[in-house]
Amino acid sequence: MTAFDASRLIGQLEVTLDVDVLVGEYPDRDGPPGSPPAVLDVLAAHRVRAGAVASLRAALFDMRSGNDEVLALGTRAVPVGAVDLRDPVGAVREAERLAELGVRAVRLFPDEQGVEAGFPSVRHVARKAAALGLVVLTGGDVRRFWQPFAGLEATVVFLDTHFYHLGDFLVVAADEPGFHTSTRLLNSPDALETVPADRLLYGSRTPHYEPVVPLLRLATSGLTPEEIAAVAGGNARRLLG
Amino acid sequence: MIIDVHAHWGPWFFTMDVAGANLRAMDRFGIDLSIVSATEAVIYDAPAGNRALAAWLETQDRHLGYVTVNPRRQADAERDLAAYLPTGRFVGVKIHTDYTRSPASSPQTREALAMVAEAGVPALVHTWGASVLELAQTCLDTPGLRVIAGHMGADGFAHAIEAANGCDRLFLEPCYSHAPAGRIAAVAAAVDRTRLLFGTDSTLIDPASAFGAVAAAGLDAETADLVAWRNAARLFDLDITA
Repeated sequence: MTAFDASRLIGQLEVTLDVDVLVGEYPDRDGPPGSPPAVLDVLAAHRVRAGAVASLRAALFDMRSGNDEVLALGTRAVPVGAVDLRDPVGAVREAERLAELGVRAVRLFPDEQGVEAGFPSVRHVARKAAALGLVVLTGGDVRRFWQPFAGLEATVVFLDTHFYHLGDFLVVAADEPGFHTSTRLLNSPDALETVPADRLLYGSRTPHYEPVVPLLRLATSGLTPEEIAAVAGGNARRLLG
Repeated sequence: MIIDVHAHWGPWFFTMDVAGANLRAMDRFGIDLSIVSATEAVIYDAPAGNRALAAWLETQDRHLGYVTVNPRRQADAERDLAAYLPTGRFVGVKIHTDYTRSPASSPQTREALAMVAEAGVPALVHTWGASVLELAQTCLDTPGLRVIAGHMGADGFAHAIEAANGCDRLFLEPCYSHAPAGRIAAVAAAVDRTRLLFGTDSTLIDPASAFGAVAAAGLDAETADLVAWRNAARLFDLDITA
């Protein structure tokens, strides 16, 4: 054992649903392995029982075939449909197909797709997703990407909320009961303790980020055991089934 | 035993209330000693922040200080180095290149770092992306200077590897609010392990971030020991035994 023994601090924490998991590859970077078995193995190695999994193939190349890959995953994955904001017409068509198949959430990749919050496609997809009753998991800067979802009674999980922007999230979330945030970048000493626990969802971005970091932050947080259980999957199950 | 070579004392301007979080966070992660700079000195007024930190350090036994230098205020820097380094409570210099808009290659930062080399203490310098290469060049150009590349370039850790391998007086410190998979392991595999340090950016960032990222790298026991404290003790000439 070294001075950097995280398992002692993480203890018995078990995540029942990680809201931010990807399969597939980024062609513009090296590794890590993104095959579904490899990704599910990483989750299991960190005592994460299931992930809300989206496909990079769907996000970067072809929505339908990529989403069909995650639909075929087993019980350790909650399928999340990726839609391409570069094609808002096709994105809505795909969201409708996924909703009919029983998928509960779609994921937006604005950074990867070079899409800004003010583009018409984002507002269009946001409206349609809300009308379909789909939860939206979205990347992007929360200070900008809150806006296309405002006033729609949408249920949204902001996956990239950085603690630098915590205040912005808090003030928009106060007006939007459906706004939630991932824990991934809330790494300041009091961010997890500041967001209402029912709006927080454990997210790791496995396998592209180290799961140990959000696990350790949550395990050593000032939250109560009940709040930790909610953040570690209870809230995600409420939204995603 | 863990020494945190990149920590802070004082309040932040973000939505956070962490000014009093220091010892609690250290205890949680087994950090025995933190070397801190005053947030006021880093962000706004170096002499005022250094003065406040000097008074606070007199009441602490698990903290040492950095004298923060604003490269645009050389006279202040000279005065503060002369006032605080001899106290023994300050063991290095902190320079934030962004808040002072003074890149590592700028004339004023080169001049400030020459002053630090003259003082004989290490400097912790903020680096991001490819700027770590500028720091390496300035270090090579400044005889006797020892620098710690704060954040080891953050997302530019590949540049940090190149910088450390090109300058044997440059040390790497890993804190970063993101935790890309494999970042620490990649650096540890490519850089002389006697130049790897541990830092958290506490109280801006919870130590869970750096601690977890280093834990994920699965360092062997000897390397972990060097990173945790031995390299820092040697660099800062601290009288510490495990």
